[in-house]
Amino acid sequence: MGETVVIIFQHGRSDSYRVATIPSNYDDNKTADGRAKSRRKNVKKTRKAEDLDDLKQELDIDYHKITPEELYQRFQTHPENGLSHAKAKENLERDGPNALTPPKTTPEWVKFCKNLFGGFALLLWIGAILCFIAYSIQASTVEEPADDNLYLGIVLAAVVIVTESKSSKIMESFKNMVPQFATVLREGEKLTLRAEDLVLGDVVEVKFGDRIPADIRIIESRGFKVDNSSLTGESEPQSRSPEFTHENPLETKNLAFFSTNAVEGTAKGVVISCGDNTVMGRIAGLASGLDTGETPIAKEIHHFIHLITGVAVFLGVTFFVIAFILGYHWLDAVIFLIGIIVANVPEGLLATVTVCLTLTAKRMASKNCLVKNLEAVETLGSTSTICSDKTGTLTQNRMTVAHMWFDNQIIEADTTEDQSGVQYDRTSPGFKALSRIATLCNRAEFKGGQDNIPILKREVSGDASEAALLKCMELALGDVMSIRRKNKKVCEIPFNSTNKYQVSIHENEDSSDPRHILVMKGAPERILERCNTIFICGKEKVLDEEMKEAFNNAYLELGGLGERVLGFCDYMLPTDKFPIGYKFNCDDPNFPLDGLRFVGLMSMIDPPRAAVPDAVAKCRSAGIKVIMVTGDHPITAKAIAKSVGIISEGNETVEDIAQRLNIPVSEVNPREAKAAVIHGSDLRDLSSDQLDEILRYHTEIVFARTSPQQKLIIVEGCQRMGAIVAVTGDGVNDSPALKKADIGVAMGIAGSDVSKQAADMILLDDNFASIVTGVEEGRLIFDNLKKSIAYTLTSNIPEISPFLAFILCDVPLPLGTVTILCIDLGTDMVPAISLAYEEAESDIMKRPPRDPLNDKLVNDRCSQVPAISLAYEEAESDIMKRRPRNPFSDKLVPAISLAYEAPESDIMKRQPRDPYRDNLVNRRLISMAYGQIGMIQAAAGFFVYFVIMAENGFRPTDLFGIRKQWDSKAVNDLTDSYGQEWTYRDRKTLEYTCHTAFFVSIVVVQWADLIICKTRRNSILHQGMRNWALNFGLIFETALAAFLSYTPGMDKGLRMFPLKFVWWLPAIPFMLSIFIYDETRRFYLRRNPGGWLEQETYY
Amino acid sequence: MATKLNEDRATKVEEFQFHVIPKRTTWENFQNAVYDPDKQEFFGRTKRSWYQLLIFYGIFYTCLAALFAICTRGLLATLDDRAPKWQLETSLIGTNPGLGFRPISSETREGSLIWYNLKNACTTSKWVNLLDEFLLPYRVKQIGRNYRSCDFDEELGDGYVCVVDVDSFGPCTSGNNYGYNSTSPCVFLKLNKIFGWVPTYYTKGQEGMPSDLKETIENEAKDNRTAVWISCEGENPVDKERIGGFNYYPGRGFPGYYYPYVNTENYLSPLIAVQIMNVEPNAIVNIECRAWAGNINYSGSDKNREGSVHFEILVDDPRVT
Repeated sequence: MGETVVIIFQHGRSDSYRVATIPSNYDDNKTADGRAKSRRKNVKKTRKAEDLDDLKQELDIDYHKITPEELYQRFQTHPENGLSHAKAKENLERDGPNALTPPKTTPEWVKFCKNLFGGFALLLWIGAILCFIAYSIQASTVEEPADDNLYLGIVLAAVVIVTESKSSKIMESFKNMVPQFATVLREGEKLTLRAEDLVLGDVVEVKFGDRIPADIRIIESRGFKVDNSSLTGESEPQSRSPEFTHENPLETKNLAFFSTNAVEGTAKGVVISCGDNTVMGRIAGLASGLDTGETPIAKEIHHFIHLITGVAVFLGVTFFVIAFILGYHWLDAVIFLIGIIVANVPEGLLATVTVCLTLTAKRMASKNCLVKNLEAVETLGSTSTICSDKTGTLTQNRMTVAHMWFDNQIIEADTTEDQSGVQYDRTSPGFKALSRIATLCNRAEFKGGQDNIPILKREVSGDASEAALLKCMELALGDVMSIRRKNKKVCEIPFNSTNKYQVSIHENEDSSDPRHILVMKGAPERILERCNTIFICGKEKVLDEEMKEAFNNAYLELGGLGERVLGFCDYMLPTDKFPIGYKFNCDDPNFPLDGLRFVGLMSMIDPPRAAVPDAVAKCRSAGIKVIMVTGDHPITAKAIAKSVGIISEGNETVEDIAQRLNIPVSEVNPREAKAAVIHGSDLRDLSSDQLDEILRYHTEIVFARTSPQQKLIIVEGCQRMGAIVAVTGDGVNDSPALKKADIGVAMGIAGSDVSKQAADMILLDDNFASIVTGVEEGRLIFDNLKKSIAYTLTSNIPEISPFLAFILCDVPLPLGTVTILCIDLGTDMVPAISLAYEEAESDIMKRPPRDPLNDKLVNDRCSQVPAISLAYEEAESDIMKRRPRNPFSDKLVPAISLAYEAPESDIMKRQPRDPYRDNLVNRRLISMAYGQIGMIQAAAGFFVYFVIMAENGFRPTDLFGIRKQWDSKAVNDLTDSYGQEWTYRDRKTLEYTCHTAFFVSIVVVQWADLIICKTRRNSILHQGMRNWALNFGLIFETALAAFLSYTPGMDKGLRMFPLKFVWWLPAIPFMLSIFIYDETRRFYLRRNPGGWLEQETYY
Repeated sequence: MATKLNEDRATKVEEFQFHVIPKRTTWENFQNAVYDPDKQEFFGRTKRSWYQLLIFYGIFYTCLAALFAICTRGLLATLDDRAPKWQLETSLIGTNPGLGFRPISSETREGSLIWYNLKNACTTSKWVNLLDEFLLPYRVKQIGRNYRSCDFDEELGDGYVCVVDVDSFGPCTSGNNYGYNSTSPCVFLKLNKIFGWVPTYYTKGQEGMPSDLKETIENEAKDNRTAVWISCEGENPVDKERIGGFNYYPGRGFPGYYYPYVNTENYLSPLIAVQIMNVEPNAIVNIECRAWAGNINYSGSDKNREGSVHFEILVDDPRVT
């Protein structure tokens, strides 16, 4: 299993590019079902790797090229009779049902077991097992064994099981992928079968509204159109007919693909591939077979775990050996080892991280970002490149009239989803004439029962452009259907590809004017050819060269916007020749089709969603590169890219420069062009180095006409170049890229199930702008996790140092393992989580972006830690922009969630972090937590220890070297500095009181630590104490400490003894000094930005 | 000013730039981490950077040490040299003294076992030496200085301590090897010193007392009954069978005039030498001794022992097998 994964991984990274871009050279030796064979036959690989490799290749079949007769022969089928039942049964048995294999999911219990032995768990298990061993040895050798080790072992095991058993929910998918029923011809009979029962060679009939039940070769069609958008990203329905038109199976007209929708017409076809072998199946298989790798936060966490584990093992083993050298009994050495492990592992940290991520995930869900994988919460924050699909993600996936040209001017129509855009003059005669044509020369109709739905969202039967016109007119004129009724249609010639126009003749609604109106629309140049005059500002003018020039300019301009342009003309038929009741003949037109009056142009596009340009701008200002990767045509793609800001104004592509300078494209230096539009067919011929170069030298890139496999290659390319890649998409064609991306973002409403399955995050409102929210939350959680970790790790030093002193200085143990657990799992947890609610420092705006040079110098630190609680600290914008706090909004942790601050805007104004340099836990964080604050805390703990010892009789100097006597039950009269003699029991009471006091002093110094962790640069005076969750955390940890110390019975259970009030106080000077030290440090940070202190201590 | 500079730097956020990730092996990475010739870095830092760091932490820890020292000074200033800050009930030592026994092995691993072989002088001299050492303070000249011979009817003045007569331990003398050349070794008992603790005396036999102790108390002169009484017994019935009784020197109790202990100079704990008669050889004998006073509570468990002491004796005698 492991081996397989590795092979896939290597293969995927290194070869997919090559495999997928090799130009197809056809191989005659195909397998019977026409599946492409792997090109790498010599290398020994596992079956799975081969399959995936296979899937990564472009589709390579010949069914569309062969003659129908050959096709029938190959499948032993017949166009009229279909397969025989016997043959169908045989095929079904051979190939299995026509359904997609659902992706394999790891059973929950396997995951649970994996968690049980991952991360710190292994270390804690070792600790627990050592405890049990120590206990059983003591139990067998001593009459009255201490139960400590037994309890400790149980607690450690419980910690592992409780904190590691996080479960993840897998979304169910694919269930809607397969069409329910299909009409099939078998032995000349029409049968309705479940789609699963279709086999190769079946002859199926498909009509509009159906889902295509398998990949089929069309053998008969009538006006058949399919919507391939989920497969190829093309926003317009594609017509399908029996002719072979293109080498590429995806482009040729005679193939229709599994799970795409038939939108118009009917067709009959032969099933050429089924289930997983279909184009859709291959993509789904590719997506589910991809190895996605770790999320950035998981990498950081693992790095951190490795570091901490390394430290724990190193210290443990070192002191184990030292203990032997010092002549300790081996059982004692084992107990030291347990203590060091327990002290080193931040037991509560992973739980805190999980809680923090969950809180953020909840917050994001409330903003319509559903996060499927908890770790993905942070990924968007690290994202440095977004590869976005166009159709349905950036655009509305709905053709809409964008521009009109009449009266010799271009009018912009409102394309926004909510009609909030500019309005145009609807009273000019030019518009009236144009709208009349658009209304009448239009066969599209609204489907029934949609009166309450906004016009733009209503479903329409008919062609996409006619639907766009219909909606535009409905918006402009009101009830289109009644207008059509008033202008009764008397004759119509529908659109066909030879004429490229559509014409209809109507009676005039103006009863005083008995003339018929002829209205025509179609390809603009064809329409213009048929016109002699042009209607400008209410007057009919001769169509002279000047007007033609104007027309051409407008046509080019609209075409250049990537819009589909239609020309409109009309003609009032003279009553003398065409009186009322005249018999118009459509088949053999007995009316003029020349010398018409040109009225104007209308152009349509699938417009960008309203929020997209702003969101793209925000992403780019946050240092994130936005790349468009679409299956659509380059012109459209470029136009949309320009309108949403992916290609910014003034940036030219190579083609633009060539056009401007009027030189061939080949003479332009590609480095001069900041923007680039790359065609999928070009991409096929590029080596990976060339792709890298394109990515590196063009800042604004659009990939058009890309296949799903190429999308994957682009994502891999970006990752190869050091980017953390987010992919947004809605179609099946996006799903491999979604899966491969560091974070895949699918659309919740328009998205296909396969894409949702492959994604890590789902935008429930399909709003691209939600990504910005995700980035903000992700960056905030990363910042806050740093704070959480800094806070949590700090207390490791006062936890470890007592053991070291115990072993090296032979003093009675100052802090026990149970008390360490009380800190890690008790008092530190809530404050750490509360830091998640901390507001961002208000001057994040003023922070300089990371300086890569400086970072190089100091930032190559080793570890990354997911800390728990600081993660919740939120960023704020300005105080003025902050949302009012809702103290009780979060149901998850009602008590803790007192503060809910809006994230700050300026978190979005810095570069994404460099995953190779900017780690969650870096050297500076460790240096701060361990080297500085931790040391002060340890000093506080030891001081309290000395105070209690001294006040009870053991002066500090007398403590050294008495450990053996102290811990010996036989010694019932240990002498202190005042000559008093202590029994074993009294000594132990004293020792446990010291543990309690050490614990309390850690709590006290952690107050200061918590407050200084609120900010990384600002003064606390500036930040304030408005984070009520944190304030609660302060009180909570104090109350918990008091509870543990003063509750009767704790002396038996946890060995915590009540403290005199004055014993709370000795830690206070140290608490204050932490506070003062860090305030001073941050003061210098602010005064000397970029200075030495910042390089060494600013985490 | 500084913030303005920051602002200027912050306004321009560069978009992410793709870059080629250098491919290095783990070994090369490791080498680079140890010494990077390009940047002249040892373990990720230049020499200069190491010095700076060293100086920084030098200053930091000096300051921390100073703070700790100041606090410790402050702590010591609040302490009295002669009397502990917290005493009796307020101190964790409490008001319930335990008993101590000697000889006890200096090796804590040997616990409270007194083991010797009658035929092996090394094993016996170990205990004799330990006892000699223990009694050394008692053998100083207890005349002059602040010693007084005490009596039950005489108040001891402040600053004076009572003498402990080392010649009153009967056969338990160094010359006699404290009995460690026989099956009747001596063990010295002492009551734990607790600053300011004054016993409430049992002047009559109490329920629970061994009958011989009751008898002893009854036989004692009324004035001399203000003492903390001692009784020793085999811990379990089998232990009781293995010993031939106990002899106590100089008597059954620690006389009341030794109390309270207030850390007076030269104070010596009163001792009682208990001779365990005829210990059965080659078997471990558990012995528990108990102190009797109105304000001494007794608890016998190992972990929570109070007002008593436990030790084991193992006498190996190769002649008896």
